Amino acid sequence: MSRATRYARYQRDDRLEISLFPFLSIFLCVMGVLSFINVLSSFSAPQKIELTAQLETGYKVAYQIFSLPDGIISVPPTKYLRKLQAVLDDADKETVDVIIQQREQKTARLKTYTGSIMDAAIEPDIDDILDTIHDIRTLNELALKANYLYEEFILFGIYPNGSQSYQKIRDVMSLTQDSAAISIGLEPLDSNWTLNLKKSPSK
Amino acid sequence: MKDLISLDSLTDIVSNSVGILIIFAVINLIHDNNKTYQLEIPLEHETDLSPVFFISKNDRVLVIDTDTFFANATSQATSKAAINKRLFSLEYFGLLGKIDDKKGISFFARDTSDWPEFKEIEKRSSPLRDSLDKLDPTKQFAYFFVYDNIEDGSSSGSGFEAFRKTREYLKSRSIKSGWQPVNSESPANICSRSFSRRCVYQPSYLGGDSSSSSNFNDKDKSAENVQ
Repeated sequence: MSRATRYARYQRDDRLEISLFPFLSIFLCVMGVLSFINVLSSFSAPQKIELTAQLETGYKVAYQIFSLPDGIISVPPTKYLRKLQAVLDDADKETVDVIIQQREQKTARLKTYTGSIMDAAIEPDIDDILDTIHDIRTLNELALKANYLYEEFILFGIYPNGSQSYQKIRDVMSLTQDSAAISIGLEPLDSNWTLNLKKSPSK
Repeated sequence: MKDLISLDSLTDIVSNSVGILIIFAVINLIHDNNKTYQLEIPLEHETDLSPVFFISKNDRVLVIDTDTFFANATSQATSKAAINKRLFSLEYFGLLGKIDDKKGISFFARDTSDWPEFKEIEKRSSPLRDSLDKLDPTKQFAYFFVYDNIEDGSSSGSGFEAFRKTREYLKSRSIKSGWQPVNSESPANICSRSFSRRCVYQPSYLGGDSSSSSNFNDKDKSAENVQ
Protein backbone atom coordinates (compact mmCIF):
# COMPACT_ATOMS: atom_id res chain seq x y z
CA MET A 1 0.00 0.00 0.00
CA SER A 2 1.54 3.24 -1.13
CA ARG A 3 1.80 6.33 1.03
CA ALA A 4 -0.66 8.12 -1.26
CA THR A 5 -3.25 5.39 -0.81
CA ARG A 6 -2.84 5.41 2.98
CA TYR A 7 -3.11 9.18 3.04
CA ALA A 8 -6.17 8.98 0.88
CA ARG A 9 -7.91 6.83 3.52
CA TYR A 10 -7.97 9.82 5.85
CA GLN A 11 -9.33 12.10 3.19
CA ARG A 12 -12.99 12.47 3.89
CA ASP A 13 -15.71 14.46 2.35
CA ASP A 14 -16.37 17.86 3.73
CA ARG A 15 -18.94 17.54 6.52
CA LEU A 16 -19.97 19.26 9.76
CA GLU A 17 -17.25 18.84 12.43
CA ILE A 18 -18.10 19.47 16.08
CA SER A 19 -15.23 20.75 18.17
CA LEU A 20 -14.80 18.85 21.44
CA PHE A 21 -12.75 21.57 23.06
CA PRO A 22 -15.64 23.45 24.79
CA PHE A 23 -17.07 20.18 26.05
CA LEU A 24 -13.75 19.03 27.46
CA SER A 25 -13.13 22.44 28.98
CA ILE A 26 -16.48 22.53 30.81
CA PHE A 27 -16.15 18.88 31.78
CA LEU A 28 -12.71 19.34 33.33
CA CYS A 29 -13.85 22.50 35.12
CA VAL A 30 -16.82 20.67 36.68
CA MET A 31 -14.59 17.77 37.62
CA GLY A 32 -12.07 20.11 39.24
CA VAL A 33 -14.74 21.93 41.23
CA LEU A 34 -16.28 18.64 42.41
CA SER A 35 -12.89 17.32 43.49
CA PHE A 36 -12.16 20.59 45.29
CA ILE A 37 -15.49 20.47 47.15
CA ASN A 38 -14.85 16.86 48.03
CA VAL A 39 -11.39 17.57 49.44
CA LEU A 40 -12.63 20.67 51.25
CA SER A 41 -15.55 18.88 52.87
CA SER A 42 -13.36 16.01 53.97
CA PHE A 43 -11.21 18.54 55.89
CA SER A 44 -13.95 20.72 57.29
CA ALA A 45 -16.67 18.14 58.00
CA PRO A 46 -16.88 17.34 61.71
CA GLN A 47 -15.72 13.89 62.66
CA LYS A 48 -18.06 11.98 64.89
CA ILE A 49 -16.40 10.47 67.89
CA GLU A 50 -17.25 8.21 70.75
CA LEU A 51 -15.17 8.00 73.89
CA THR A 52 -14.07 4.60 75.11
CA ALA A 53 -11.54 3.73 77.74
CA GLN A 54 -8.19 2.30 76.89
CA LEU A 55 -8.04 -1.40 77.66
CA GLU A 56 -11.81 -1.35 78.10
CA THR A 57 -13.41 -4.73 78.39
CA GLY A 58 -16.96 -5.68 77.55
CA TYR A 59 -18.54 -5.02 80.93
CA LYS A 60 -17.02 -1.56 81.49
CA VAL A 61 -19.20 1.26 80.24
CA ALA A 62 -18.34 4.93 79.82
CA TYR A 63 -20.48 7.81 81.02
CA GLN A 64 -19.37 10.46 78.53
CA ILE A 65 -19.23 14.11 79.52
CA PHE A 66 -18.22 16.64 76.89
CA SER A 67 -16.93 19.88 78.34
CA LEU A 68 -17.50 22.91 76.11
CA PRO A 69 -17.10 26.66 76.62
CA ASP A 70 -20.85 27.04 77.32
CA GLY A 71 -21.20 24.06 79.62
CA ILE A 72 -21.38 20.30 79.35
CA ILE A 73 -23.16 17.65 77.32
CA SER A 74 -23.70 14.41 79.22
CA VAL A 75 -24.21 11.20 77.31
CA PRO A 76 -25.23 8.56 79.86
CA PRO A 77 -24.93 4.89 78.94
CA THR A 78 -27.98 2.65 78.95
CA LYS A 79 -26.17 -0.29 77.41
CA TYR A 80 -26.37 -3.47 79.50
CA LEU A 81 -28.55 -1.77 82.15
CA ARG A 82 -31.61 -3.89 81.32
CA LYS A 83 -29.48 -7.01 81.60
CA LEU A 84 -28.17 -5.80 84.94
CA GLN A 85 -31.72 -5.08 86.06
CA ALA A 86 -32.78 -8.62 85.22
CA VAL A 87 -30.37 -10.15 87.74
CA LEU A 88 -31.32 -7.86 90.65
CA ASP A 89 -33.95 -8.32 93.32
CA ASP A 90 -37.24 -6.39 93.12
CA ALA A 91 -36.24 -3.40 95.24
CA ASP A 92 -33.03 -2.91 93.31
CA LYS A 93 -34.86 -3.39 90.00
CA GLU A 94 -36.96 -0.34 90.81
CA THR A 95 -33.89 1.71 91.60
CA VAL A 96 -32.27 0.78 88.30
CA ASP A 97 -35.53 1.36 86.44
CA VAL A 98 -35.68 4.95 87.70
CA ILE A 99 -32.07 5.52 86.58
CA ILE A 100 -32.74 3.99 83.16
CA GLN A 101 -35.80 6.18 82.63
CA GLN A 102 -33.93 9.34 83.62
CA ARG A 103 -31.08 8.48 81.32
CA GLU A 104 -33.33 7.61 78.39
CA GLN A 105 -35.12 10.93 78.81
CA LYS A 106 -31.79 12.73 78.83
CA THR A 107 -30.62 10.92 75.70
CA ALA A 108 -33.96 11.49 73.96
CA ARG A 109 -33.72 15.23 74.72
CA LEU A 110 -30.31 15.33 73.10
CA LYS A 111 -31.45 13.34 70.08
CA THR A 112 -34.45 15.55 69.48
CA TYR A 113 -32.46 18.73 69.95
CA THR A 114 -32.90 20.87 66.89
CA GLY A 115 -29.77 22.57 65.64
CA SER A 116 -26.17 21.68 66.14
CA ILE A 117 -25.73 19.18 68.96
CA MET A 118 -22.71 21.14 70.13
CA ASP A 119 -25.04 24.00 71.05
CA ALA A 120 -26.90 21.74 73.47
CA ALA A 121 -24.36 22.31 76.23
CA ILE A 122 -25.76 23.40 79.57
CA GLU A 123 -24.10 24.92 82.59
CA PRO A 124 -23.18 22.11 85.01
CA ASP A 125 -25.49 22.13 87.99
CA ILE A 126 -24.07 21.00 91.34
CA ASP A 127 -27.12 18.90 92.25
CA ASP A 128 -27.14 17.23 88.82
CA ILE A 129 -23.47 16.36 89.16
CA LEU A 130 -23.99 14.90 92.61
CA ASP A 131 -27.00 12.88 91.39
CA THR A 132 -25.03 11.58 88.42
CA ILE A 133 -22.12 10.51 90.61
CA HIS A 134 -24.50 8.89 93.08
CA ASP A 135 -26.27 6.97 90.28
CA ILE A 136 -22.99 5.66 88.92
CA ARG A 137 -21.91 4.55 92.37
CA THR A 138 -25.30 2.91 92.99
CA LEU A 139 -25.16 0.96 89.72
CA ASN A 140 -21.58 -0.18 90.33
CA GLU A 141 -22.44 -1.33 93.87
CA LEU A 142 -25.61 -3.12 92.77
CA ALA A 143 -23.68 -4.94 90.05
CA LEU A 144 -21.02 -5.92 92.56
CA LYS A 145 -23.66 -7.11 95.04
CA ALA A 146 -25.34 -9.24 92.38
CA ASN A 147 -21.94 -10.52 91.24
CA TYR A 148 -22.71 -9.20 87.76
CA LEU A 149 -19.89 -7.91 85.57
CA TYR A 150 -20.78 -4.27 85.08
CA GLU A 151 -18.86 -1.10 85.88
CA GLU A 152 -19.40 2.50 84.88
CA PHE A 153 -16.75 5.18 84.80
CA ILE A 154 -16.59 8.77 83.61
CA LEU A 155 -14.82 9.94 80.49
CA PHE A 156 -14.37 13.65 79.89
CA GLY A 157 -13.88 15.05 76.41
CA ILE A 158 -12.37 18.53 76.81
CA TYR A 159 -13.01 20.92 73.95
CA PRO A 160 -11.01 24.16 73.53
CA ASN A 161 -12.05 26.68 76.21
CA GLY A 162 -13.94 23.90 77.98
CA SER A 163 -11.78 23.62 81.08
CA GLN A 164 -13.99 25.68 83.40
CA SER A 165 -16.92 23.25 83.27
CA TYR A 166 -14.53 20.35 83.74
CA GLN A 167 -12.85 21.99 86.74
CA LYS A 168 -16.24 22.73 88.26
CA ILE A 169 -17.30 19.08 87.98
CA ARG A 170 -14.02 17.87 89.46
CA ASP A 171 -14.39 20.37 92.30
CA VAL A 172 -17.86 19.02 93.06
CA MET A 173 -16.63 15.43 92.76
CA SER A 174 -13.94 16.12 95.33
CA LEU A 175 -16.67 17.02 97.82
CA THR A 176 -18.45 13.67 97.70
CA GLN A 177 -17.35 10.22 98.76
CA ASP A 178 -19.48 8.77 95.95
CA SER A 179 -16.75 9.62 93.45
CA ALA A 180 -13.97 7.89 95.37
CA ALA A 181 -14.35 4.55 93.61
CA ILE A 182 -15.27 5.87 90.17
CA SER A 183 -12.58 5.75 87.50
CA ILE A 184 -12.04 8.86 85.43
CA GLY A 185 -10.39 9.55 82.09
CA LEU A 186 -10.01 12.73 80.09
CA GLU A 187 -8.87 13.65 76.63
CA PRO A 188 -8.42 16.92 74.73
CA LEU A 189 -10.75 17.21 71.73
CA ASP A 190 -10.52 19.48 68.72
CA SER A 191 -13.48 21.70 67.91
CA ASN A 192 -14.17 19.89 64.61
CA TRP A 193 -14.83 16.62 66.44
CA THR A 194 -18.46 16.16 67.32
CA LEU A 195 -20.22 13.58 69.42
CA ASN A 196 -22.18 10.70 68.02
CA LEU A 197 -25.72 10.19 69.23
CA LYS A 198 -27.10 8.02 66.46
CA LYS A 199 -26.18 4.78 68.13
CA SER A 200 -29.38 3.54 69.66
CA PRO A 201 -29.11 2.42 73.24
CA SER A 202 -29.00 -1.29 73.67
CA LYS A 203 -31.65 -2.88 75.78
CA MET B 1 -8.47 19.81 11.93
CA LYS B 2 -9.98 17.46 9.46
CA ASP B 3 -6.80 15.40 9.35
CA LEU B 4 -6.69 14.78 13.10
CA ILE B 5 -7.59 11.46 14.64
CA SER B 6 -11.06 11.60 16.19
CA LEU B 7 -11.11 12.32 19.94
CA ASP B 8 -14.49 10.64 20.43
CA SER B 9 -13.14 7.39 21.85
CA LEU B 10 -10.69 9.12 24.14
CA THR B 11 -13.35 11.49 25.45
CA ASP B 12 -15.69 8.57 25.96
CA ILE B 13 -13.17 6.63 28.03
CA VAL B 14 -12.06 9.66 30.02
CA SER B 15 -15.61 10.75 30.84
CA ASN B 16 -16.60 7.22 31.85
CA SER B 17 -13.57 6.85 34.12
CA VAL B 18 -14.03 10.26 35.67
CA GLY B 19 -17.74 9.67 36.19
CA ILE B 20 -17.03 6.45 38.06
CA LEU B 21 -14.36 8.18 40.14
CA ILE B 22 -16.83 10.93 41.08
CA ILE B 23 -19.43 8.34 42.09
CA PHE B 24 -16.79 6.63 44.24
CA ALA B 25 -15.86 9.95 45.81
CA VAL B 26 -19.49 10.77 46.64
CA ILE B 27 -20.09 7.29 48.11
CA ASN B 28 -16.89 7.63 50.11
CA LEU B 29 -17.98 11.02 51.41
CA ILE B 30 -21.40 9.75 52.48
CA HIS B 31 -19.77 6.77 54.14
CA ASP B 32 -17.29 9.03 55.95
CA ASN B 33 -20.09 11.19 57.30
CA ASN B 34 -21.68 8.15 58.94
CA LYS B 35 -18.41 6.95 60.42
CA THR B 36 -17.81 7.18 64.14
CA TYR B 37 -14.29 7.21 65.47
CA GLN B 38 -13.62 5.60 68.82
CA LEU B 39 -11.20 7.54 70.95
CA GLU B 40 -9.48 5.30 73.41
CA ILE B 41 -8.94 7.23 76.59
CA PRO B 42 -6.65 6.16 79.42
CA LEU B 43 -8.03 6.24 82.94
CA GLU B 44 -6.47 8.02 85.87
CA HIS B 45 -5.03 5.75 88.50
CA GLU B 46 -3.23 5.91 91.80
CA THR B 47 0.54 5.68 91.69
CA ASP B 48 3.60 5.83 93.90
CA LEU B 49 5.49 7.71 91.21
CA SER B 50 6.22 11.37 91.81
CA PRO B 51 5.00 13.99 89.32
CA VAL B 52 7.24 16.17 87.19
CA PHE B 53 5.21 19.17 86.09
CA PHE B 54 4.98 20.62 82.61
CA ILE B 55 3.01 23.51 81.14
CA SER B 56 1.86 23.37 77.54
CA LYS B 57 0.77 26.53 75.77
CA ASN B 58 1.06 28.06 72.30
CA ASP B 59 2.65 24.88 70.89
CA ARG B 60 5.39 25.13 73.50
CA VAL B 61 6.20 22.97 76.50
CA LEU B 62 7.90 24.15 79.68
CA VAL B 63 9.32 21.80 82.29
CA ILE B 64 8.82 23.19 85.77
CA ASP B 65 11.83 22.86 88.00
CA THR B 66 9.82 22.75 91.22
CA ASP B 67 12.84 23.56 93.43
CA THR B 68 13.55 26.82 91.61
CA PHE B 69 9.87 27.50 91.12
CA PHE B 70 8.98 27.23 94.80
CA ALA B 71 12.18 28.98 95.94
CA ASN B 72 11.19 31.94 93.75
CA ALA B 73 7.57 31.72 94.89
CA THR B 74 8.62 31.75 98.54
CA SER B 75 10.86 34.78 98.09
CA GLN B 76 8.08 36.62 96.26
CA ALA B 77 5.31 35.53 98.62
CA THR B 78 6.09 38.32 101.05
CA SER B 79 5.76 40.99 98.38
CA LYS B 80 2.90 43.45 98.60
CA ALA B 81 1.23 42.05 95.50
CA ALA B 82 1.30 38.52 96.87
CA ILE B 83 -0.10 39.57 100.25
CA ASN B 84 -2.91 41.44 98.50
CA LYS B 85 -3.67 38.32 96.44
CA ARG B 86 -2.68 40.03 93.23
CA LEU B 87 -0.51 38.59 90.47
CA PHE B 88 3.20 38.68 91.14
CA SER B 89 6.15 37.61 89.04
CA LEU B 90 7.63 34.21 89.82
CA GLU B 91 10.75 35.14 87.86
CA TYR B 92 10.52 31.82 86.12
CA PHE B 93 10.05 31.84 82.33
CA GLY B 94 7.49 34.63 82.49
CA LEU B 95 5.17 32.84 84.90
CA LEU B 96 2.98 34.90 87.21
CA GLY B 97 1.75 33.60 90.54
CA LYS B 98 -1.19 34.26 92.80
CA ILE B 99 -1.90 33.06 96.31
CA ASP B 100 -5.14 31.10 96.40
CA ASP B 101 -6.79 30.11 99.68
CA LYS B 102 -8.26 26.93 98.19
CA LYS B 103 -5.58 25.83 95.76
CA GLY B 104 -2.29 27.02 97.22
CA ILE B 105 -0.30 28.88 94.62
CA SER B 106 -1.91 29.36 91.22
CA PHE B 107 0.23 30.34 88.28
CA PHE B 108 -0.43 31.92 84.94
CA ALA B 109 1.54 31.74 81.71
CA ARG B 110 1.55 34.94 79.69
CA ASP B 111 4.72 35.27 77.65
CA THR B 112 5.80 31.92 76.25
CA SER B 113 8.43 33.13 73.79
CA ASP B 114 11.27 31.71 75.94
CA TRP B 115 9.71 28.27 76.14
CA PRO B 116 10.91 25.39 73.96
CA GLU B 117 8.70 24.52 71.00
CA PHE B 118 7.30 21.02 71.06
CA LYS B 119 8.77 20.27 67.62
CA GLU B 120 12.18 20.19 69.32
CA ILE B 121 11.29 16.71 70.54
CA GLU B 122 12.10 15.44 67.08
CA LYS B 123 15.64 16.81 67.29
CA ARG B 124 18.18 14.41 68.71
CA SER B 125 19.59 16.97 71.08
CA SER B 126 17.43 19.76 72.36
CA PRO B 127 16.78 21.17 75.84
CA LEU B 128 13.20 19.83 75.82
CA ARG B 129 14.16 16.34 74.72
CA ASP B 130 17.05 16.26 77.16
CA SER B 131 14.75 17.15 80.05
CA LEU B 132 12.22 14.51 78.94
CA ASP B 133 14.96 11.92 78.64
CA LYS B 134 16.02 12.62 82.22
CA LEU B 135 12.70 11.31 83.58
CA ASP B 136 12.98 7.99 85.34
CA PRO B 137 9.97 5.75 84.50
CA THR B 138 10.41 3.77 87.72
CA LYS B 139 10.22 6.87 89.92
CA GLN B 140 8.52 9.67 88.00
CA PHE B 141 5.65 10.48 85.72
CA ALA B 142 4.89 13.62 83.72
CA TYR B 143 1.95 15.82 84.64
CA PHE B 144 0.84 18.49 82.17
CA PHE B 145 -1.08 21.69 82.68
CA VAL B 146 -2.51 22.17 79.20
CA TYR B 147 -3.85 25.54 78.08
CA ASP B 148 -7.14 25.14 76.25
CA ASN B 149 -7.55 28.65 74.86
CA ILE B 150 -8.11 28.66 71.12
CA GLU B 151 -6.10 30.73 68.66
CA ASP B 152 -7.68 32.36 65.64
CA GLY B 153 -8.26 29.89 62.82
CA SER B 154 -7.29 26.88 64.90
CA SER B 155 -9.59 24.02 65.83
CA SER B 156 -7.45 22.94 68.76
CA GLY B 157 -6.53 24.36 72.15
CA SER B 158 -3.23 26.21 72.15
CA GLY B 159 -1.49 23.53 74.20
CA PHE B 160 -3.31 20.43 72.94
CA GLU B 161 -1.04 19.49 70.06
CA ALA B 162 2.16 20.03 72.05
CA PHE B 163 0.72 17.90 74.86
CA ARG B 164 -0.28 15.08 72.51
CA LYS B 165 3.11 14.94 70.83
CA THR B 166 5.04 15.12 74.10
CA ARG B 167 2.82 12.44 75.61
CA GLU B 168 3.44 10.15 72.64
CA TYR B 169 7.18 10.64 73.02
CA LEU B 170 6.98 9.87 76.74
CA LYS B 171 4.90 6.81 76.05
CA SER B 172 7.53 5.48 73.68
CA ARG B 173 9.93 5.77 76.63
CA SER B 174 7.46 3.96 78.96
CA ILE B 175 6.85 7.08 81.02
CA LYS B 176 3.35 7.62 82.32
CA SER B 177 1.66 10.97 82.02
CA GLY B 178 -1.41 12.77 83.28
CA TRP B 179 -2.92 16.15 82.55
CA GLN B 180 -5.54 18.73 83.30
CA PRO B 181 -6.86 21.57 81.15
CA VAL B 182 -6.19 25.09 82.39
CA ASN B 183 -6.71 28.67 81.27
CA SER B 184 -6.66 32.13 82.81
CA GLU B 185 -10.01 31.54 84.56
CA SER B 186 -9.07 28.05 85.79
CA PRO B 187 -5.34 28.46 86.37
CA ALA B 188 -2.78 25.78 87.04
CA ASN B 189 -1.78 25.16 90.60
CA ILE B 190 0.59 22.96 92.51
CA CYS B 191 -0.33 22.05 96.04
CA SER B 192 -0.26 19.21 98.49
CA ARG B 193 -3.10 16.73 98.99
CA SER B 194 -3.04 17.58 102.69
CA PHE B 195 -3.93 21.14 101.70
CA SER B 196 -6.97 20.27 99.59
CA ARG B 197 -8.60 17.14 98.17
CA ARG B 198 -8.42 18.75 94.74
CA CYS B 199 -4.63 18.75 94.92
CA VAL B 200 -4.30 15.37 93.28
CA TYR B 201 -2.03 14.70 90.32
CA GLN B 202 -2.46 11.27 88.82
CA PRO B 203 -1.12 9.70 85.67
CA SER B 204 -3.79 8.80 83.17
CA TYR B 205 -1.64 7.40 80.47
CA LEU B 206 -0.17 3.96 80.49
CA GLY B 207 3.49 4.05 79.67
CA GLY B 208 4.32 1.25 77.26
CA ASP B 209 5.74 0.39 73.92
CA SER B 210 4.56 2.55 71.09
CA SER B 211 3.52 -0.43 68.97
CA SER B 212 0.63 -1.23 71.28
CA SER B 213 -0.33 2.37 71.76
CA SER B 214 -3.11 4.39 70.25
CA ASN B 215 -2.51 7.86 68.97
CA PHE B 216 -5.02 10.53 69.67
CA ASN B 217 -4.15 13.27 67.28
CA ASP B 218 -6.42 13.77 64.33
CA LYS B 219 -3.99 12.27 61.87
CA ASP B 220 -3.11 9.11 63.69
CA LYS B 221 -6.03 8.53 65.95
CA SER B 222 -7.26 5.05 66.36
CA ALA B 223 -10.26 4.85 64.16
CA GLU B 224 -12.81 2.18 64.02
CA ASN B 225 -16.09 2.23 62.26
CA VAL B 226 -18.60 1.27 64.87
CA GLN B 227 -21.69 1.80 62.83
